[in-house]
Amino acid sequence: MAPIPGRPAASPRPGCRSRGVPGRELVAPTVVAILGALAYLAFPDDLAFFTRIIVAALFVMSLDLVVGYCGVATLGHAVLYGAGAYAAGILCVDGLTDPLLLIAAGSVAGVVAGLVTALVILRAHGLPQLVLSIAVVQLAYEAANKARDITGGSDGLSGISPGPVFGLFEFDLWGRTAYVLALVLLIATLVVLRRVVRSPFGLLCRGIKQDPDRIRAIGGTIYGNLVKMYALSGAVAGLAGGLTAVTTGVVGLDSVSFEWSAEALVMLVLGGAGTLYGALVGAVVFTGFEHYVAAVDPYHWLFVVGALLIGVVLALPAGLGSLAAWLRRLLPQGAP
Amino acid sequence: MNVLLSIAFDALAYGMVLFIICIGLSVMMGLMRVINLAHGAFAMIGGYIASYVAGPMGWGYVPALVCGVIGAALIALPLERLLYRRVYGASDPLVQVLMTIGLTFCIIGATNFLFGSAMRAIPLPALISGPVDLGVRTVPAHRLFVIACGVVIASGLWYLIERTSFGIRLRATVDNTGMAGALGVRTDWIYTATFALAVGLAAFGGAVGAEIMPLDPYYALRYMVTFLVVVSVGGAGSIGGALVAALLLGFVDTTGRYLAPNYGEFFFYLAVIAIVFVFPHGLLRRGA
Amino acid sequence: MPTDGCPAFAPAAMVSIGVRVVSCPARRKGEVVLMRSIRVLVVAAAFAVAIGGVASAETIKVGVIGPMSGPFSLYGRNFKLGIDAYVAMHGKKAGSHDVEFIYRDLDGPDPAKAKSLAQELIVKDKVQYLAGVYFTPNAMAVAPLLVQGKTPFILMNAATSAITEKSPYIVRTSFTMWQNTVPAARVARQKGYKKVAIAVSDYGPGIDAETAFRQTFEADGGTVIESIRMPVRTTDFGPVMQRIRNGGADAVFAFLPAGPPTLAFVKAFIDNGLKAAGIQLLTTGDVTPEPDLPQFGDDGIGIISTYHYSRSHASPENEAFLAKIREVGGRVEDVTMAAVGAFDGAHVIYKMIEATGGERDPEKAVAAVKGLSWISPRGPVSIDPETRHITQNVYVRSVEKQGSTYINKEILTFANQPDYGLIKAK
Repeated sequence: MAPIPGRPAASPRPGCRSRGVPGRELVAPTVVAILGALAYLAFPDDLAFFTRIIVAALFVMSLDLVVGYCGVATLGHAVLYGAGAYAAGILCVDGLTDPLLLIAAGSVAGVVAGLVTALVILRAHGLPQLVLSIAVVQLAYEAANKARDITGGSDGLSGISPGPVFGLFEFDLWGRTAYVLALVLLIATLVVLRRVVRSPFGLLCRGIKQDPDRIRAIGGTIYGNLVKMYALSGAVAGLAGGLTAVTTGVVGLDSVSFEWSAEALVMLVLGGAGTLYGALVGAVVFTGFEHYVAAVDPYHWLFVVGALLIGVVLALPAGLGSLAAWLRRLLPQGAP
Repeated sequence: MNVLLSIAFDALAYGMVLFIICIGLSVMMGLMRVINLAHGAFAMIGGYIASYVAGPMGWGYVPALVCGVIGAALIALPLERLLYRRVYGASDPLVQVLMTIGLTFCIIGATNFLFGSAMRAIPLPALISGPVDLGVRTVPAHRLFVIACGVVIASGLWYLIERTSFGIRLRATVDNTGMAGALGVRTDWIYTATFALAVGLAAFGGAVGAEIMPLDPYYALRYMVTFLVVVSVGGAGSIGGALVAALLLGFVDTTGRYLAPNYGEFFFYLAVIAIVFVFPHGLLRRGA
Repeated sequence: MPTDGCPAFAPAAMVSIGVRVVSCPARRKGEVVLMRSIRVLVVAAAFAVAIGGVASAETIKVGVIGPMSGPFSLYGRNFKLGIDAYVAMHGKKAGSHDVEFIYRDLDGPDPAKAKSLAQELIVKDKVQYLAGVYFTPNAMAVAPLLVQGKTPFILMNAATSAITEKSPYIVRTSFTMWQNTVPAARVARQKGYKKVAIAVSDYGPGIDAETAFRQTFEADGGTVIESIRMPVRTTDFGPVMQRIRNGGADAVFAFLPAGPPTLAFVKAFIDNGLKAAGIQLLTTGDVTPEPDLPQFGDDGIGIISTYHYSRSHASPENEAFLAKIREVGGRVEDVTMAAVGAFDGAHVIYKMIEATGGERDPEKAVAAVKGLSWISPRGPVSIDPETRHITQNVYVRSVEKQGSTYINKEILTFANQPDYGLIKAK
């Protein structure tokens, strides 16, 4: 079921396929950069919304690292995201105001949360694993609610007002600084992650997903590699969390909720797990679709979103990301 | 002692509601290997139909329960044919998750549209409403009724599965669908019948348990996690496992809420983690 | 969630798929085509923005954020009902300006989304006023934008005291937990209860209610024998009731957010024999909103609650208000405090627009309503110039049956109650 692993942009011509072609790695990040710049120019009034999409995209990519590449079933990924958001938020309230440092701190917190989570949920497989991840996220949610003095509890942690980026660019009402910062982080993350998932380590993880016994037989360690990937995933999720804390100035309990974890999983499966680009497409399509439908009918949009999910499963079981591959298969036959 | 009895009673009632709703999901996950997140939505449909029949139509409680069960099964069967069939045993369970979440959204949206977002109660007949003094303590009469229902359903299911020919075919299909088919069991029909049974039980649980788990359109999402946890802890496909898991988790939850109400949720999920660590394949696994 | 920003992303998504279809050798050509279409797109968008800007100069826009969908949608729709009723009563014009209300859906506490919605309303839709907001974290996320965006914010629900301190441009027309809870504690003492158990939902407003009740009740000489914080998601209250019963309290003070748990709570209270044992249930009005009363049935009769608005409040203003609700297509059965908060919020906004003559001048707008007093459907109210929070009567009500419906019957009035939460903080 997991098609086109790792080569989202692969073209039908064999000559273009090899990983050796220089610059090939940079195609997707470049496309994202161009589209991002375009969005900035064409829709300068929607930047806050775009920033939210980028945060979602980062979070879903992070989830993809463990779900799509390692086959770990989790509905508790928001623990990693929330750790980043709260770490950045709490440090900022305590007086650290450099936004980049705050985001970095969020990323570190994400790694720590990733390691702790991995410790618990890698103990089981399949359904029990899913249930463990749910238990972890519910515990984290309750803990954040209880630690009201530090996290603000259900009222949210407010009063986060980071300084200007590099001491130069203030966070403005139009969300320009926030958007550019988010876009740059997204592109950088994409470059790094594309390298990682194509590295021997990334391939090993994919092997673990497909057939752990065989990996063990050829001498690969399973647990250690999964924990490593979890830490990396935590870094990205924490980055997304830190970014949202810095750009919105409030961290709510929703950032460590089961609901946010589930929504991310829905976006991932919608776009197609196992490819970074599927994660990206899923985040953009789901958030955008929801945004659009809810604007047209603020009362009953949930029904339409549900219908979209069912439709995708029936028409494209491998996710929207497979649409491109499907088109590609059609084209050569259609064209003379 | 008094306190212990008191807790045990509340726990039993809560556990039984969980059991009635979850057993269908457990059978479905064991047999069709489908992670059905829309199970709670079917329970909700049953509850809503019952509330409509008992409330505005005024037919009384028992007809309401019957209508709820039959109505939910009737709504669910076309869905089984059109949607579920395509994802039975899908190699990627995430596809099932996506589809059943989508279905849950649709059912919530439809319920919201038809009945509004306010919560709904199912009027109880005088016989099972109000308090009953047992001597030790006063208990809600309705909970006694729920416990009785749970016992009846558990024994009925046991009989159905262990003692009838349908049960034999069902077990055969669970263990090895291909072989059962080759031996002349109409596995296709077994799937449909089991699906209807599972939905019917969910609907019954949703209607009977409405006092403990009140109905509103977001019922389906609110309890989705709880149901999934109970089934997984018990071991998918195991009736005994589901019963033990429902009672055990009901007991942990209730005790936690009585003794340390401020930390209620912690106990439940810590217990879940502990149980999964010790019994990674469920408390009682079929055939294990 | 809402808004019409989608055109932004829809072409983007299509383009992204398009780019990937282009095969290697054709890449250059593809990019040229892409650049060309980009240019067209940018020009078209700029044009659209320009036109939009011109057209909106005449009317004054107000952005309302609320839960239009989801478990709390009743309250989002109440915002709209209240505003529609005000507009139906006073016309579409404030002073000489047309007023247009724009609604955005935010179904739960989600500060990131709240901020992006508010930003979009200010920047893109060019609203002069923000209003609504049901949940505290969402209000907190909007607060920092107001000064930079020069936009006053009329809070129509979120009830945590501290919100109005977060920005000088916030005015609140709803209530706070403290405001409604302090009278509850006073009335408990007046009725002669000595030992009370508190049961609240374990989140911000619940803790506020607990603290407010405990401090007031103990200061008046009562004893709080037990204080239980219940997880928000709990719907099985048997154990809580058993505990309270064993503790031997005369009365229970409870706060839960309106929704399915309140029904289960009240049922558990009766079914576990607490009512029969003569224990009084005392709540804030959040537990007994009128739309839920029919679900309680006769079981609910006798619950005492304190609140700033009852639908059955007897006054010509309230009758006129309910008549307008019916006129704009609402059902009177659905009216809650959120509709009145929105109705009075619209009044404040109209006064602001009249005072500023339609100019964007937040200082002047807020100054104009400080100390403003009027007769609301809930009774006489005024805006406290210090806290910018509404001062109002708080009524002690008892659930009664009236014909075939159930009402919260006012039995006692605490006049001109301030927000005790902010006063205490000073």
